[in-house]
Amino acid sequence: MRALIFIFVLFSTGLFADDYGYSYSKGVAPVSNELYKNECASCHFAYQPGLLPERSWIKLMSNLEDHFDTDASLEPEDNKKILRYLIDNSADKFTNYKRSRKINQSIRSYDTPIAVSQTPYFKKEHREIRKDLITQKEVKSLSNCMACHTTADKGIYSERYINIPNYGRWDD
Amino acid sequence: MKSILLMFVLSLSVFAQSNEVKNYIKTLELEVLKVEPTFKGFDIKRGEEIFTSKHIGKKGKEISCVSCHTNDLSKKGENFFTGKVIEPLSPKANSERLSSVKSVKKWLRRNFKDVYNREGTAKEKGDVLTYINTK
Repeated sequence: MRALIFIFVLFSTGLFADDYGYSYSKGVAPVSNELYKNECASCHFAYQPGLLPERSWIKLMSNLEDHFDTDASLEPEDNKKILRYLIDNSADKFTNYKRSRKINQSIRSYDTPIAVSQTPYFKKEHREIRKDLITQKEVKSLSNCMACHTTADKGIYSERYINIPNYGRWDD
Repeated sequence: MKSILLMFVLSLSVFAQSNEVKNYIKTLELEVLKVEPTFKGFDIKRGEEIFTSKHIGKKGKEISCVSCHTNDLSKKGENFFTGKVIEPLSPKANSERLSSVKSVKKWLRRNFKDVYNREGTAKEKGDVLTYINTK
């Protein structure tokens, strides 16, 4: 009985890589900070901290006055709290998550990209997508994860959950 | 009984918060009076002009507040650049709006820079808040 429970726990915590995409270890740790959600996700998708390494978050948070040509400035104390959360959960710390590990490994040590879409792993994964599918109004740009990755907010970017507007499922 | 009490407490806090913003608008008025002694008060029409007129914004593109918030403030909008849904700006449709000074100041600072590529003056801020309040 005990062994059965143990196996059950193993499965439910996702230690076994599964084929159904429920295992978080396949994706990236989901967002768990309310301040981050409130402040950052009011304008764009709440990118998981595990999508960029620590040095990227530090660089990004040091220039919110000019955040991708938008003013996203915060009160200093809020900036500090959010940066702490981002650092504590950054891609270089969560290498047990597949996406975090792959993104982190793809970035050259002398580079500090401040957009997930600038990382080599991201670029490689999206290189075959037709331009018009990206620029269409339902998507707008590659920064809009949820437009195609229907489970992106859960940290799951598996192919099986992709649904590109006006195209459908994506198979490599 | 408990729920009535809870509702009472909740309504009190909403009331207190909107008072906070009212006080903020008062301080804006005092600021304007310092530079414009004949100032007659904030104006919905001027606020509407601020909200709907187009300008070359921070991204170098022509944009207005309407580009994201739409012309109908009781409805949801959409971020012009990211596509992210924006909850209604009208305090009548969305009780969270104009309820916290911290939030009001933050968005005025950010959005004036985004649309006007500069900070708003006290008069502009008061006018546009007065306009939003009537929507």
